[in-house]
Amino acid sequence: MLRVEAQTRLGALELEVALEVAAGTCLALAGPSGAGKTSVLRIVAGLVRPERGRVLAGGETWLDTERGIDVAPEARRCGYVFQEYALFPHLSAWQNVAYPLHGMRRAEKRERALALLRRFGLDALAEARPRTLSGGERQRVAVARALARSPGVLLLDEPLSALDARTRAGAARELGAVLEEVEVPSLLVTHDFSEAAQLGDRVGVIDAGRVVQEGSPSELAAEPRSAFVADFTGAIVLTGVAGAGPDGLTRVALDGGGEATSTDSAEGPVAVSVYPWEITIEPHQEAAHGSARNRLAAEVISVTTVGNRVRVGLAASQPLSAEITDASARALELRAGLRVTATWKATATRLLDL
Amino acid sequence: MRRALLALGLVAALAGGCGGDDDDTGGASAGGKPQLVVSAASSMTEALTACSKSYPDAELKLQFAGSDELAAQIRQGVKPDVFAAANTRLPDELHSEGLLSKPVVFATNEFVLAVPDDSDITGLDDLEATGVKIAIGSESVPIGEYTRESLARLSPAQEKAILANVRSNEPDVKGIVGKLTQGAADAGFVYVTDVNATDGALKAIELPAELEPNATYGAGVVEGAKEPKPAQAFVDGLVDGECADALKAAGFGAPPG
Amino acid sequence: MTSQRHTFWFPALLALSLAAALTFLTVPVAAIFLDSSPSALIDSLGEPGALDALWLSLRTTAISIAIILCVGTPAAYLLATRSFPGKALVVTLVELPLVLPPAVAGIALLAAVGPAGILGGAIEGAGIELALTTAGVVVALTFVASPFYVRQAMAAFAAVDRTLLDASRTLGASEARGFVRVMIPSALPGLAAGTALALVRALGEFGATLMFAGSFQGITQTVPLAIYDRFSTQFDSALALSAVLVAVSAAILLSVKLVVGSEALGGAAR
Repeated sequence: MLRVEAQTRLGALELEVALEVAAGTCLALAGPSGAGKTSVLRIVAGLVRPERGRVLAGGETWLDTERGIDVAPEARRCGYVFQEYALFPHLSAWQNVAYPLHGMRRAEKRERALALLRRFGLDALAEARPRTLSGGERQRVAVARALARSPGVLLLDEPLSALDARTRAGAARELGAVLEEVEVPSLLVTHDFSEAAQLGDRVGVIDAGRVVQEGSPSELAAEPRSAFVADFTGAIVLTGVAGAGPDGLTRVALDGGGEATSTDSAEGPVAVSVYPWEITIEPHQEAAHGSARNRLAAEVISVTTVGNRVRVGLAASQPLSAEITDASARALELRAGLRVTATWKATATRLLDL
Repeated sequence: MRRALLALGLVAALAGGCGGDDDDTGGASAGGKPQLVVSAASSMTEALTACSKSYPDAELKLQFAGSDELAAQIRQGVKPDVFAAANTRLPDELHSEGLLSKPVVFATNEFVLAVPDDSDITGLDDLEATGVKIAIGSESVPIGEYTRESLARLSPAQEKAILANVRSNEPDVKGIVGKLTQGAADAGFVYVTDVNATDGALKAIELPAELEPNATYGAGVVEGAKEPKPAQAFVDGLVDGECADALKAAGFGAPPG
Repeated sequence: MTSQRHTFWFPALLALSLAAALTFLTVPVAAIFLDSSPSALIDSLGEPGALDALWLSLRTTAISIAIILCVGTPAAYLLATRSFPGKALVVTLVELPLVLPPAVAGIALLAAVGPAGILGGAIEGAGIELALTTAGVVVALTFVASPFYVRQAMAAFAAVDRTLLDASRTLGASEARGFVRVMIPSALPGLAAGTALALVRALGEFGATLMFAGSFQGITQTVPLAIYDRFSTQFDSALALSAVLVAVSAAILLSVKLVVGSEALGGAAR
C-alpha cells in the first residue's frame, strides 16, 4: 500500500494532495500540464522534499516531515519510469536493466537482466545501445529497468506521451498487462484522460495542485463533479442559466440562445455537460419524434472519420460535437454547411457548478 | 561589383604587404631621425635604456637577451643594426663569418659573486657547503662562460664542490638576478653592474684578481644594416659618448688601452 | 554576365585565404623536420641532456595532469551542477590562469609560493622546497594547465541530462556512485578533450617554469627549456627536441579525435 500526503509550494503552485494506492492496483493521476502531477511522483521517489508531508510505502516510512524522517532516493525501493525514459546512453539495453542490481556477480546480473528483457520481448536487442532502439523499445527497456530490483512502488511519468500515435495503442495494451501483473502499488501520471482510464484502476483528476475528484474511470465520466472534470474527461460543456422547468425538470437558458432540459436540479449560472456519443443528429425541419427532449438547431462545421465512427463538429449558439456511426453519417449526407438538429436526452444532461 | 572591388582591394593589400622588404627597419622616421635596432647583452639593460632616452642622433630600438642568442639570430639572418655583446669572442666570430664589421672593444665589466644583501655568505669557501643553492649562466651565454672559466682556475676539488651546488643554468644574467632576489638561490655569478642595478637588494662579493675572467665587451655594425653610418656612430659612442657615460655610471669599466 | 563575376571572386578569395593560412601554419612545422637530416636529428636526441629533458617533461606533465584530473574533476562537477552565491566569481577565478600570459603566471607563482612570496615562509616551514626543484616545475605546469581542463569539464558535465542522475538515484545508486557510473561516462568526450588541451599546454610550458623553477638538466630543464638553451649553439638538437614535441602533440590530438569519434560511433571500438 502506498500513501502519500504532501503540502508544499512549488513556484507559483500550491500543491496539496492526499492519495492512497492499494497494492496491485494502479492509480492514474490525470491533469493538465503544470497541475503538479510530476511533482507528486518526485515526492514519492524522494527527489523533492515537500514542506510538509508523509510517504508510507509497504509498511515503511519514507518521509515524515514532522518526525524528521527523509529516506534518500537511493534507499527507497522505487521503480521510476521517466517521461523520456532516461536510459543511460553509454550502456547497452541489458546493462541499463542490470544497473540497479547489486551484490551479485556480473554473470548473474546479466542473466537477471536478460530474463526481464525476454519478458518484454526484447532479448534480441540486449546488446543494443539506446540510441539504436525505437521509441517503443526504449519504453519497454525503461519499464524493465524500473522493475529489475523488485521495487516496492512503481512510478510512471507520462509513459506513453513520447510515443507516436501508432505505437501508442500497442504500447498501452502491453503496459496495461504489465500493470495488471505487478503486485505493488503503481502511480501513473498523464495529461490524457483516456490513457488514465485505460491504464488506471482508479483515476484522480488533479488541477492546480489539488485532486478535484477521484474514482473509477466510468464514475468520473458519468458523474463529473465540476465543469473542469467534465471537460477533462471529454464531455461537451455549455454554459447557461438554470431555472425551474415543466414536469419537475430544470430548464437552462443557454448563453447565446436555445435551451436545454435536465433531470438534475440546479439554479442560476450553470455548466451543462453531455457526451458526444449521447448526441443524435436529425435532418433539419424534421418533426420531433422519440423521447429526447433536447433539440438544438445547428450547422455542421466539420466531419471527421475515426475508424467506423464519425465526429461531427457542430455550431449552435455554442459549439457542440456529436459522435455517430459512419453509416448514419453517410445516410444523412453530412457535409460542412448543412443545417441539422442535434438532439439528446434530458437524463444524459448533467448540470454542474461553473 | 562592390564585392569584387573589396576583394581586389584585400588581395592588393596582401600583395603589397608581402612584397619588398625595403621599407621596414631602419627607415627614416617621421621626425627625420634614423631608427637603429640594437641587439645588446642583458647586462647592459639599465645603462643603454637610460642613454637611449636622450640619444641625439637616432631613435634607438633596443632588444636585450643573452649575447649567444642574439648572435644566433644574426646567424639565422636577422639584421639588427648594431650587435653589442658581453664578450669579444662572439663579435669576433661573427666578423670572421662576414656578418659583422670589425668589432670595437668598448667596455669591461667586473665579474662578481652576488648574494642577497642579508646573506651570511662572504666568499667562495662558503659556496662549497652542502645545501647552498647557486644559480649561474648556461654554457653558451657569456656570463656562463666567464663563470666556468673562473671556477676552472680554482683547485679541482673546490671547482667540483661549487659546481655540485649549481641548481640552475639561466639563459641570461637577468634570470640569475631574479633567482637571487626571489630567494630561490643563495648565490650567483653575475656582473657588478647587475648588482648595482638591484639598488641594494643584492650585494657583490669581489673575487681575487687571479679569478677575474676579464669580461670585455665588444660591438660592431651588422653587415647589411639599414643605417650603417648612424650605426657606426653609435658603436663609436659606446667608447666615448653619451652611452659610454651611461655605462660608466652603471659600473662598467673603461675599455683596456 | 555580372552574376558570373560575383560567383568567381568570392570563392577565389576564400580559397586564397585558406591557402595563405595553411602555408603560414604548416611550413614552420614542416621546417622542423626538414631543416636538418633525419640522422642528425636522431643522433642529437640520443645525447644525455636531450634524454633528460624528454624524461623530465614526461614525468612532470604526467604528475601535473594526474593532479589536475583528481582535483579538477570533482571541482568542475560542483561548478557545473550546483549554484551558490558568488559562483560567477569563483568560475572567473578558476579560469583566470587561462588568460594570463606565461610570464605573468611566473610572476604570480613567485609572488604566491616563491621563497619571497606571501606563502613562502609557511611552505619553507613545512619543509617543502619548490623553487629550483622538480616539484616547482609540477606546480608551474599545474597552474597554467588546469583551467584548460576545468573549463572543458564544466561544460561537459553541464551538458549531461540531469534526469539521468535522477534515474540513477531512483535505481539505488548514491550521488557519488551516479557520478562515477553515469556522469563521467556521459561526459567523457568533453573530459578527454579537456585533458588533451591541458596536456599540450603543460608540455609546452616555458616562461612560468623558467622564472619559477629555473633551468637545470634533469631537474627542471623540461623540453621547451632545453630547446631554448640549445637554439643558439646546438640548433640540430633544438630541432630534434622540437620535432619530438610536435609529434607528441599531434599524437595527443589524434587520440582525442579517436576517443570522441568512437563515442559518436556507438562505442564499437570499446
